[in-house]
Amino acid sequence: MTAFLALLRRDLQVASRNALPILMGTLTQPIMVVLVFGNILPRLHLVADEFRTVMVPGLMSITMLMAGVQGVLMPLVTDLAGTREVEERILAPISILGVAIQKVVAGAIHAGVAGLIALPAMMLLMHRVTGVAVHPRWVMLFPFVALSGLLSAAFGMTVGTQVQPRFSGLLFAVILGPMMLFGCAYYPWSGLQVMGLFQYVFLLNPLVFMSESMRLAVTPDVPHMPTPLLLGGLGVFTALFTVLGARSFEKRTIL
Amino acid sequence: MSRAAVLSVESLVKTYPAKGKAPAVEAVRDLSFEVRAGEFFGLLGPNGAGKSTTLGCITTLVRPTSGRIFVDGVDVARSPMEARRRIAVVPQNRNLDRDLSVREVLTYHGRYFGLPAAEREARADRLLTELQIADKASAKPLTLSGGQQQRVMIARALMHDPKVLLLDEPTTGLDPQARRLLWQTLGGLHKGGLTLILTTHYMEEADRLCQRLAIIDHGKILTIDTPAALKKQLPGGQILDVWARAETPLAPRLEGITGVMRLERVESHGDGEDVERLRLFVDPADGLLDRVLHAVRDAGADLHHVSLMAPSLEDVYIHLTGKELRE
Repeated sequence: MTAFLALLRRDLQVASRNALPILMGTLTQPIMVVLVFGNILPRLHLVADEFRTVMVPGLMSITMLMAGVQGVLMPLVTDLAGTREVEERILAPISILGVAIQKVVAGAIHAGVAGLIALPAMMLLMHRVTGVAVHPRWVMLFPFVALSGLLSAAFGMTVGTQVQPRFSGLLFAVILGPMMLFGCAYYPWSGLQVMGLFQYVFLLNPLVFMSESMRLAVTPDVPHMPTPLLLGGLGVFTALFTVLGARSFEKRTIL
Repeated sequence: MSRAAVLSVESLVKTYPAKGKAPAVEAVRDLSFEVRAGEFFGLLGPNGAGKSTTLGCITTLVRPTSGRIFVDGVDVARSPMEARRRIAVVPQNRNLDRDLSVREVLTYHGRYFGLPAAEREARADRLLTELQIADKASAKPLTLSGGQQQRVMIARALMHDPKVLLLDEPTTGLDPQARRLLWQTLGGLHKGGLTLILTTHYMEEADRLCQRLAIIDHGKILTIDTPAALKKQLPGGQILDVWARAETPLAPRLEGITGVMRLERVESHGDGEDVERLRLFVDPADGLLDRVLHAVRDAGADLHHVSLMAPSLEDVYIHLTGKELRE
């Protein structure tokens, strides 16, 4: 446990020192999207006004996913393929599983903080815009942010331990891009009823559960997925990616 | 395990499983050795001989296929976390935490191992001074030279007061000055009572630093002894290299000469394919050189090179394997 906490402390200290670049990396995307989709397009009458409310929780979930990518996935890819700084951690008196879980926890804190900063930033940007119904229910928000953060970080570990550095550019085009577009970030899952059974194919995308959980916690007026399904999806994906990620982390570090 | 041994490797085997089209690799095949407390031990061999894999098995980073390893009485495979407290590694690639300062690299390493604050601060200060990197304490590792980074890695390794320090080819890529400084440092640590295990493919380094050496090739130990004793293994005691171009092979003419204890053909690559390179292990007394040169002349051979020298570890290696160290 001592080693676990010391490793976590190191990660948080390094992150707090790099707060500015991390913040910029985290906030640029949601702020730009809010400006374009929340401001320009509605004024041109190219999107419905309701879209502003719908996209806020979605952008939070995208922010958290990207923080998991930025905080866990990319560092792992370079570390495992080149610098091998990870070996010092593995040689500490802690199990491999402990090192893996510590990485997920650190990534989850990173993602959670990113989501919690993105929300007020977006609210601030839109506070003069009428018809935006963002009313965070804080009691619900924190546990869902924590779960979504864990899911993002575990996903980052699973993919980060599998991807070769030469393919990391493809990652955004092939995996993250489609995930974000089909992750119910810009439309509620319940609205997909119009697609018939296809609605259920979307459930293969873990981001859907993150977006819907933020929808439940932040914009109560917009319909969201039934809570049991929501919790089940978040739980199953988090557990799945943690197990897969830890396993492939061990494979990549212990030969 | 004998009582004085701080490390014992018993019948170690490591086979990396086949991956895709790449076949399985038998990196280590039945390797056994012991290192006594306070000893400076070397694993000498060419690249791909199995040195790093052996080190990996000792440090818990490589899972042995079979065999057992004990560090200070702890079974490495059964209690890896206990084993890690007793060993420290200076890896081949520089893996310092680039987000921390040099001093923090040491103090965080102390934290990972649960050292109380006062102790880790004091130890970090002492090691920074001892390894002559105190002036770099607040620098980021990547701004340091290769030799300085190497010393930071040694300081980091010593933070948790290990019983055994393992160094994987520590001087590869260092300039001669940095290499000498590192040798001094390692010599000092050894004098201080630390057990050191070093892998290298530099003969001079092994000869100069190590009290005992295992020469490894193809995952097996060829021989294990003190550098002096290894050199004495060579027949004759001196080495005579003869390179010549001749119509008929020269070797049979030289083999029978009195004082030539043994003759080996040295494989050569590149230029002068038709030049015969012979290594004679000789007893140089009583006009041996004369007899050899006469034989060369009688054969009508064109002599390219001749040299007589005291054997080095490299000669022991060539004698044992019949080839030069592979790069």
